[in-house]
Amino acid sequence: MFKLENPYALRRGRVAKVIKETENIYTFYIETEEQARPGQYNMLYAFGMGEAPITIASMEGEYLVHTVRAVGDVTRHIDELKEGEILYYRGPYGNTWDIERAHKGELLIISGGLGLAATRWVFEQAKTHHIKRLIHIYGSKDYHSLLYRYLYEHWHSYSEFYITLERPDPRWNGRVGLVTDLLREIELKEDTVVFTCGPDPMVKACVSLLENKGIKVYNIYASLERHMKCSLGTCGHCMIGPYFVCKDGPIFRYDLIREYFERKEV
Amino acid sequence: MEVKGEDEGSNYLIDLDSLVELFGILSQRYRVWAPKVKDGVIRYMPTSSFGELALGYRNIELPGYYELKKEEGYFTYTHPVNSLKELLHPPELPLMRVVKQSSELLFDYTMPNGERLCLFDVRACDLWALEVLDRVFIKNNPKPDPYYKSLRDNLFTVGVNCSYATSTCFCTTMGTGPEVRGGYDLLLTELKEGFLLQVGSEEGREVIGPLKKRRAEERHLQEKENIIKRTEGMMQKDFHRQEARERLYGRMDETYWEPVGKRCLACTNCTQVCPTCFCFDMVEKNGLSESYRVRAWDSCFSPSFATLHRFNLRQSIHSRYRQWLMHKFAYWVDQFGTYGCVGCGRCITWCPVGIDVRQEVRRIVQA
Repeated sequence: MFKLENPYALRRGRVAKVIKETENIYTFYIETEEQARPGQYNMLYAFGMGEAPITIASMEGEYLVHTVRAVGDVTRHIDELKEGEILYYRGPYGNTWDIERAHKGELLIISGGLGLAATRWVFEQAKTHHIKRLIHIYGSKDYHSLLYRYLYEHWHSYSEFYITLERPDPRWNGRVGLVTDLLREIELKEDTVVFTCGPDPMVKACVSLLENKGIKVYNIYASLERHMKCSLGTCGHCMIGPYFVCKDGPIFRYDLIREYFERKEV
Repeated sequence: MEVKGEDEGSNYLIDLDSLVELFGILSQRYRVWAPKVKDGVIRYMPTSSFGELALGYRNIELPGYYELKKEEGYFTYTHPVNSLKELLHPPELPLMRVVKQSSELLFDYTMPNGERLCLFDVRACDLWALEVLDRVFIKNNPKPDPYYKSLRDNLFTVGVNCSYATSTCFCTTMGTGPEVRGGYDLLLTELKEGFLLQVGSEEGREVIGPLKKRRAEERHLQEKENIIKRTEGMMQKDFHRQEARERLYGRMDETYWEPVGKRCLACTNCTQVCPTCFCFDMVEKNGLSESYRVRAWDSCFSPSFATLHRFNLRQSIHSRYRQWLMHKFAYWVDQFGTYGCVGCGRCITWCPVGIDVRQEVRRIVQA
């Protein structure tokens, strides 16, 4: 009888820094010895409340970066964590963005809302990869919801980074409109590789637009969000068709999930 | 399915006295779960003496109907209403106790205690279901589940070949029975002159060491074959499972599912009695200073199952039924290399509106 590692065992990480992004979104820097890859996620635990799957927004040195929006019981508690306190978590889980696919070619990243947390790390890594043209479109609901404002200047320095707001704001001089409005205007080569994360309707609309531009569906990768309880492929909540989003994803080549993703109530 | 091994020296014939003795040996070595009559149904329950066993009963099952009758003989029913899932993947299993001490949390992982357990009288469908669950939790899982494994490693099984099939049985359609073909430590078949006892593992051989028994002869093995053939004949081939699976992938449109969605109550009975439905929820059970993280059965028919930001992705009942049936008969094969259905028919019997999954597969596939 061999001894198995307990996949539910929680680890502790000290909160080294907290950044308030918006009214209800905070970014935490957690001390860790963990090795992770862009696109993966952790299960964050709140005592007496449960767990929530949260994407790893980045790794900076020995710090794990998590951006958490207080929407449910678990995330509301996590967002109350202060510097020096302990975050309990397990992971990393899931697959990673296949950045090699964009080697020496063009890479387009499309992020909607908090989906930016899932694409941020691979976007940062893309800087050091041989990518001919790097484009990032980020759509946000309104001015208040903009994330990572302190990184925009740096991102502009190595990519074509566009932001569009759904609602106008007196403090905003940039673009107003949907992600798809912005996407429509951008000239793309047919072999462009696309990474996207955002609300399901945004992803669907972008894919259909990209197809009209001649981009191959098998070059589009989407990171999905689903209800998850175990992250081990056994609780069944995250199933989409024959796939478990928790362990087969969260990133999928779009042509493989299209049948299930675009159909109602699958 | 893994066969633990069977050779010529492994077949014996025992009489009723020896069977009683065997049960006694098992009760001394293990905590025994066996079928007993309780509240008008046969259930797997902790059992301490041979006399408690549900022997000489016949279960009459129809869609939405269950009845027990007396019957001449011993192993004359098919299978209990509950399945082995209740033991290996319990309805509620605490995974850890979490205690808050000042600002730190202490975790105490509540692993099952490693007690040896014997399941007495397991039929082919339910033994196959064990293999199905093994693949989900251990064999085909990159992160094997230690809780399931510690229960599974301590299991000793005594299989029994069915001499009868009730009208909801369809193991022949799913290719899982009625013959027990592996996964047992000991195997019994009720014959005219006694019980054929076959050994499937070293532990099984050790258990029957002191037992009064004689070598089984060719005619006993032949009688077993005949019994299995007769039982097979009591069931009809409802559909071709590979063909059904291939066709189901082309039947995702809701028009195929709406008729059954109108009848289904989404009561979750089928997923609770199913020997392979594994979906669970993680529940926090909180006290004043501690919290238990508990794995509790969930169901894809539950309205909160596929919630995303407080919105249920599967609002309609027909979409939940589609998820369940597609998973059982199609997705499961892609995920774990077996069907998610073993043909035990429990979901048919315990459906309060009598939905027969065999008919639904046929209707959808033939549409």
